[in-house]
Amino acid sequence: MKKKLFGAVSAAALVFAGAAMAEYPEKEIQGIIQWGAGGSTDAVMRAVTPHAEEVLGGKVVMQNMTGGVGAIAAKFTMTQPADGYTLLMGAENPMLYKVMGLGDFDYNSAFEPVALLARGVPILVANPDAPYNTFAELVDYMAAHPEEVKFGSTGPGGLPSVVTAMLDAEVDVSATFVPYDGDGPALTALQGGAIDVMPAVLGAALEAIKAERIKVIALVDNTPNEALPGVAPITEDFPGYGKYLPWGPFFGVFVKAGTPEDVVAKLSTAYLEGAQATDFVELLENRAYLPINLSGQDAKDYMAKWQSVTSWLVQDAGIAKRSPEEFGIPRP
Amino acid sequence: MDFQSFFMTFLDLRLMALVGAGTAAGIYIGAIPGLSVTMAVSILISFTFSWEMYDALALMIGIYMGGVYGGSRTAILLNIPGAPSAIATALDGYPLAKKGQAGEAIGLSTTMSALGGLIGIAVLGFAAPAVSEFAIRFQPRDYMLLAILGILLVGSLSGESLIKGVFAGALGLTIGCVGLDPLTAQERFTFGHIELWGGISFVAVMIGLFGVSEALMQLQHINTPAVKQKISRVIPSWKSVVKFLPLSIQSSSIGVIIGALPGTGGDIAALMAYDHAKRVTKDPEVPFGKGARAGLVAPETANNAAVGGAFIPMLTLGIPGDSVTAIIIGAMFIHGLNPGPMLMIERPEMFWFILGALVLATGFMLFFGLTGIRLFVKVVELPRAMLFPLILLLSIIGAFAVNNSLTDVYWMLGFGVLGYFMKLYGYQLGPVILGVILSRLIDDNWRRAIISEREDLGRLFHGIFTSPLSLVLFMAVVMIFFTSTPLWPMLKKRLRRKADPAPKA
Repeated sequence: MKKKLFGAVSAAALVFAGAAMAEYPEKEIQGIIQWGAGGSTDAVMRAVTPHAEEVLGGKVVMQNMTGGVGAIAAKFTMTQPADGYTLLMGAENPMLYKVMGLGDFDYNSAFEPVALLARGVPILVANPDAPYNTFAELVDYMAAHPEEVKFGSTGPGGLPSVVTAMLDAEVDVSATFVPYDGDGPALTALQGGAIDVMPAVLGAALEAIKAERIKVIALVDNTPNEALPGVAPITEDFPGYGKYLPWGPFFGVFVKAGTPEDVVAKLSTAYLEGAQATDFVELLENRAYLPINLSGQDAKDYMAKWQSVTSWLVQDAGIAKRSPEEFGIPRP
Repeated sequence: MDFQSFFMTFLDLRLMALVGAGTAAGIYIGAIPGLSVTMAVSILISFTFSWEMYDALALMIGIYMGGVYGGSRTAILLNIPGAPSAIATALDGYPLAKKGQAGEAIGLSTTMSALGGLIGIAVLGFAAPAVSEFAIRFQPRDYMLLAILGILLVGSLSGESLIKGVFAGALGLTIGCVGLDPLTAQERFTFGHIELWGGISFVAVMIGLFGVSEALMQLQHINTPAVKQKISRVIPSWKSVVKFLPLSIQSSSIGVIIGALPGTGGDIAALMAYDHAKRVTKDPEVPFGKGARAGLVAPETANNAAVGGAFIPMLTLGIPGDSVTAIIIGAMFIHGLNPGPMLMIERPEMFWFILGALVLATGFMLFFGLTGIRLFVKVVELPRAMLFPLILLLSIIGAFAVNNSLTDVYWMLGFGVLGYFMKLYGYQLGPVILGVILSRLIDDNWRRAIISEREDLGRLFHGIFTSPLSLVLFMAVVMIFFTSTPLWPMLKKRLRRKADPAPKA
């Protein structure tokens, strides 16, 4: 009898919970953008979210929370309830927190992927007045003028630091690294001459490249890119980089781990469908991003592989604070 | 022919209505502390994504212009700046309201805001490429010097005691340091509390220090009847507009430049303009801080001029001048434009459209601003027993609205009480806010500057002395510092004696 009653109560509770969940979203959803306004993560998230909102039938209010290589936004999201009302709109950075000593978590341990949307192509850009035009020339220049070239960075573990680690694995990168809040402010500083070279994602720099306000030194990929006609991939002169490429930053939407499955599923559908919208696809093309469109286990596998390649890269470069071995991250 | 787009908002009734509605909404959003223009415009992005691009931009521009102006309302009437850019407005605006001249103060600030806005737009229209080239040339060391120049405003905000002002400014800088270090994610002054990782909400500090402390202060005179407000003269006379014209042109120039710099916005512009006014106004009719009109005119022209300034790097280079233009850039992406250096070449009509919408929004701002005054000043005439609970309520809502966080409300109340005691013991609160605003600017850019010189002070000074811009900023810092010390009057006296050797016999 007692057991039956218990069963009835829990069944009722389940039904009730189901009914409550079916109404998700019943209030405004908070979208925490990990990087600054005007940067690449910001542009992608602000472009896709209105389409996702349409599918979702709810409102996502987006807010930039910058700093700490995105850790401030990630840690903030982790302090919020796991109810799907706080989305972390981030880039790849948290997959490196463990080895960079920025936290004991990553997207696969502390979050649930809603959707991996797109990935970018890394390039190396420089002020047009710089006395080098190709990566080979930059390498020679750095050898002749150690520590003189100012590289922009976005803190340990940010895209510039990983690209630098990759470059440093094959040649000697002797430069001074100046930290900025994001790629937007750093590219501004590059145009103003405060820094000389910036590892950036192609999309964020494209308009300035077209206007010849900055120049491309290297396309850090193993294939040529439609958006950069006439620029050879870095593997042409330096085949050694072939083993790391293709590599690129990615953008995704995440919720805190423990968020009810149906809420995650609903959000995934919304964001993946939203990413099919013509103008978003066009935006990705215009900005030279490649679509990923993964969710669930596929997304987790994608990120695990990315983490393995990148963690060992920074470990071998000597900029990792803790070895990937400590966390059981396998060598690729 | 692209210039024709300038008149688009004037000729299309729907666009005109959208600019008007945006401006009206912006004035109220700006006036309510805690609701910011940035917040409103980012909500609008998702709201307007299916709209025509021109419609969406018209609404956003209206809100931006109205919102920057709206912050002055509550600053003058209740001593709660509706937005950080209205902090300097409260310093002399609220004393005017206390003397029964709220109507005149609002009228003057409205007219001057419109004037400043128009000057900013004019610079945007005629000199945008030159100004943006100048603005992006600012190096980290220049931002650092600018921030130091800002911190020296403590000198003009300290009131009776410079020592107490310096203490208050240092307190502000420390408050601004709380949280995860933006460059390395190290915890600073967090004492292991996760709540402190994001830092202490600046708006909560501002509302607490200004609004709540003033309400507590006024509770001491709870039975004094409210000051009757004179509302006979709302629109300022032509004579007073002409009188303040030189000052408003100077403070607008400060506003445009500071607004165009990608790292600074209207709040710093307004404070710097206030300081400038204090320096150049030889004989104010009443002392600054007690209701000087010049102290109202300068920040109000500067913060609206900063709007035009913020659009300068955005439209010419695709680099946002402040947080609002950053979001408008996002909106333009979504509507299929590629804001960047090519925008002016590929879509020049966008430039003229935005310019036209800004002019129209300024016109609406003047109209809505001057028509509602009589009603608004009644708020200050409420019996104190009713007014102060209202101020507290507004402060709590404002502090909560920023991050939907109760922690911020506690901070706000805590700073209210702290502010009350500081005032009681003769500490000014302006320097505290100044410290909080400038803390990150000074911290980040000092570190960037010294890191890029390979942590060598000699190389840093070499850089300062070889760049004309840095040198001018450095000299300004030295001059302002020097003229604030007792050495300066002594030196001046001696110089005068030398120049004038023969006393009249």
